[in-house]
Amino acid sequence: MVDRLEATRRLLELAGDAPVLAGIAGPAFDLYRAGDRPENFYTWGAMGVVGGLGLGLALARPDRRVIVLDGDGSLLMNLGTLATIAAEAPPNLVHVVWDNEQYEVTGGQPTHTARGADLAAVARAAGVRRAETVRDLDTFCRTLERSLVEPGPWTIVVKTRPGRSGRAPIDALRFRFLDTEGFRRALGVAPA
Amino acid sequence: MHWQQEVARGMVRAGIGLAAYVPDSGMGPLLSALEACPAIRVLSVTREEEGLGVVSGAYLGGVRGALLTQTSGMGNSLNALASLNLPQRIPCLLLVTQRGELGEFNPAQVPLGRAIRPILDALGVQHYTPHRPQEAGDLVRHAAELAFASLAPVAVLLPRTFAGGNGA
Repeated sequence: MVDRLEATRRLLELAGDAPVLAGIAGPAFDLYRAGDRPENFYTWGAMGVVGGLGLGLALARPDRRVIVLDGDGSLLMNLGTLATIAAEAPPNLVHVVWDNEQYEVTGGQPTHTARGADLAAVARAAGVRRAETVRDLDTFCRTLERSLVEPGPWTIVVKTRPGRSGRAPIDALRFRFLDTEGFRRALGVAPA
Repeated sequence: MHWQQEVARGMVRAGIGLAAYVPDSGMGPLLSALEACPAIRVLSVTREEEGLGVVSGAYLGGVRGALLTQTSGMGNSLNALASLNLPQRIPCLLLVTQRGELGEFNPAQVPLGRAIRPILDALGVQHYTPHRPQEAGDLVRHAAELAFASLAPVAVLLPRTFAGGNGA
């Protein structure tokens, strides 16, 4: 099993200047802890929507690798997104799903991945051809490196150790997550 | 000019580059009109809040997006609208085909169709309704310009009478 915070740090080392979009709670908190940067976009609501957000950005910016950090609970809320990603098939989209088999931020209630649901298999069945499950950090890093150069879309399900990485950085995120224009600026987008 | 051509022209003139939709029976002519617009990428999504994610992501990358949905789909989108677009100031055009008003045959469409304006008002989302097909194009263009100027979603509710026909 992988430590999510450590894996997020390694991901930022490998990501270069690729934009990284993080889903609600754990993925966003650990992205902030691992290293805030202008190319990070944090959501703090809209559970289940970050995959669609990454799809839209990947379609709008085919010149950039787009990395999404999702969670098992969130993705289970919008499994249809996998079918839309497969149908549009943006080669530059890397959808990482941290799968700790629980709704961590609400107290650790088990998700259905704890009872056998296999999100990489769902992704493959939806038509995402590059869909893999990884269970250790080295395999994660190697798979991520491939996903950053080989055509996707990719779904990388990472089995992570349950448990929080510490107190949530809510005071910092309260302001940071509002900086939509700063993220667009980091991607070279002119003001709306 | 038919309403669907008016709306498509308004979207093109507003610089919309991506349109995500979950279909409504009255939306068919508009989808056909949009397919004929090379400037607009049209894509089908599985659920309306997913579509809001897609058009929001497009905005992050510098492309103006529109979500096409019937009123029931706005119901499916409310949490994304309230917890993504509004607090994070991500604009988009919401093109909503109205259900549950005059001519409706499906009782399941009526409560949300009737409630959609008060719901949008409660969220502070501005919404407009063209009364004649000929004014739909300009209204859509102005609504989109308002959305991207104010960094907020703006809705245009398309009356059922434009589309004629029955719905599913």
